[in-house]
Amino acid sequence: MKKIINHPNNVVSEALQGLVKACPELQYAEKLEVVSRKEKKTKVGLVSGGGSGHEPAHAGYVGKGMLDAAVCGNVFSSPSPDRIIKGIEEANSGEGVLLIIKNYSGDIMNFDMAREMAEMEDIRVESVIVKDDVAVPDSTYSTGRRGIAGTIFVHKIAGAKAESGASLDEVKAAAEKAIANIRSMGMAMSSCTLPAVGKPGFVLGENEIEIGMGIHGEPGVERTNVKTADQVAEILLSKILEDYDFSGSEVALMVNGLGATPLMELYILNNEVEKILTSKGVKIHKAFVGNYMTALEMAGCSLTLMKLDGELKELLDAPCSTPALTII
Amino acid sequence: MGFLLSSKDYAEYIKLAAAKIHENGEYVTALDAATGDGDHWTNINMGFEKLVEAIPELETMSLYEEFKKIGIIMMSVIGGSSGVLYGSAYMGAAKVLKDKENIENQDMCNVLEAMLNSIMTRGNAKPGYKTMLDCLYPAVECYKDSIAKGLSERETVSLVKKAANDGAQSTADMEAVRGRACYQANKGKGNLDPGAITMAYQLEVLMDYIAAKL
Repeated sequence: MKKIINHPNNVVSEALQGLVKACPELQYAEKLEVVSRKEKKTKVGLVSGGGSGHEPAHAGYVGKGMLDAAVCGNVFSSPSPDRIIKGIEEANSGEGVLLIIKNYSGDIMNFDMAREMAEMEDIRVESVIVKDDVAVPDSTYSTGRRGIAGTIFVHKIAGAKAESGASLDEVKAAAEKAIANIRSMGMAMSSCTLPAVGKPGFVLGENEIEIGMGIHGEPGVERTNVKTADQVAEILLSKILEDYDFSGSEVALMVNGLGATPLMELYILNNEVEKILTSKGVKIHKAFVGNYMTALEMAGCSLTLMKLDGELKELLDAPCSTPALTII
Repeated sequence: MGFLLSSKDYAEYIKLAAAKIHENGEYVTALDAATGDGDHWTNINMGFEKLVEAIPELETMSLYEEFKKIGIIMMSVIGGSSGVLYGSAYMGAAKVLKDKENIENQDMCNVLEAMLNSIMTRGNAKPGYKTMLDCLYPAVECYKDSIAKGLSERETVSLVKKAANDGAQSTADMEAVRGRACYQANKGKGNLDPGAITMAYQLEVLMDYIAAKL
């Protein structure tokens, strides 16, 4: 294992300390691994979080126009309820708190428990669950679709709505509208190593890629040979467009890197994605290209589309200022 | 005269369970790498290490306070799914032990049943989902059954231990409905569930500990 770390047990805490040293408008709660905004405003509070290893998610999206607090678990492991309660307390200004949860068993159980405990302290808490990964069939029986990079769009939409002074119910409705209109699909080209485990969680051959792999290395839909950028764009988009009809609509696009893929390649992919979407009559209102939701040092990418209406477009374009996303 | 476990005894059991988990690190991690992301053992081991550090405090507490404290430590130190499930289990079990000075046979059965119910509720899960429940559920059923039949305590704990281990082994043929393994094309079929195995370690050590007291 080659990593710039001191000890595997301290990676989360040391990374968050490093983040707030670079971002003086944020504060860090030691041991509870919560990053929150220093400046408090009376508005609906937004909290997200989950396992670490997806940086800049989620602490990188704490700031004006997005989250009020991010709660960080161990690498790829949900934060515990005591940490989440701290996040809720930091975000609460009396107007209620919305939890933005990615759809994983562990996150749902821990956030639910935290919500029950916060409600006992008379804090009004609502939650939304992001499940945008079309690689997994939607299901009411099993956990179903995973939450991946589309979560960043939910942070942006709900964040802008909350910043506008909307009520908790209105912010929740905006987040749910975003979730209903977001679809993502990814692919991986290499594995990643959890610091505490010390070796890669799985192996992909020299010329192998895996379509639909999750952001923790969960198996995807197909292992295949390496493809050209236009083929990757075609495969990922076709899964997304099969699942949801984006034709004739305006969308926000995210071309997301998983950690080890150079930005140059993401731009090449964006170029191909734009061609395909344009040919299908899908208009890109705004494209975001970069490492927004990563999987440690995994190579690969994901594509996310969010269908926009007037309200979502306005909320997407509203200003925000966070370490990982700024819109002026 | 049957067994009686004090909070000091339970703390002693925690130490033995921690050792059992500690020595099976490579095996559990390998199981987890096959269907999950390979960190189950690291996290649960970290939780038990913290529990062992807390023993001087735990053994002086009432059973009720001890179980609550164990739940809080497991929840915050293990984290992830296992943390909140074990946390819920111990907090649920603590309620059964309110005002009790010792755990006797029927109490032990009640404790395990409270843990089972807490885990099912928190995880929105049932036996058959390829989880730790597939170890705990048959163990609890066996315990209740043995008491109903009036079996000796020695016989009971030996049967419960077997039921727990058989239950954990039965996860190999199951398809996962919760957790990371459910994303696998074959839903993890053919692989043991690491969470059921670590649950079986705990029940095995607990039943052996009780047997040694008889």
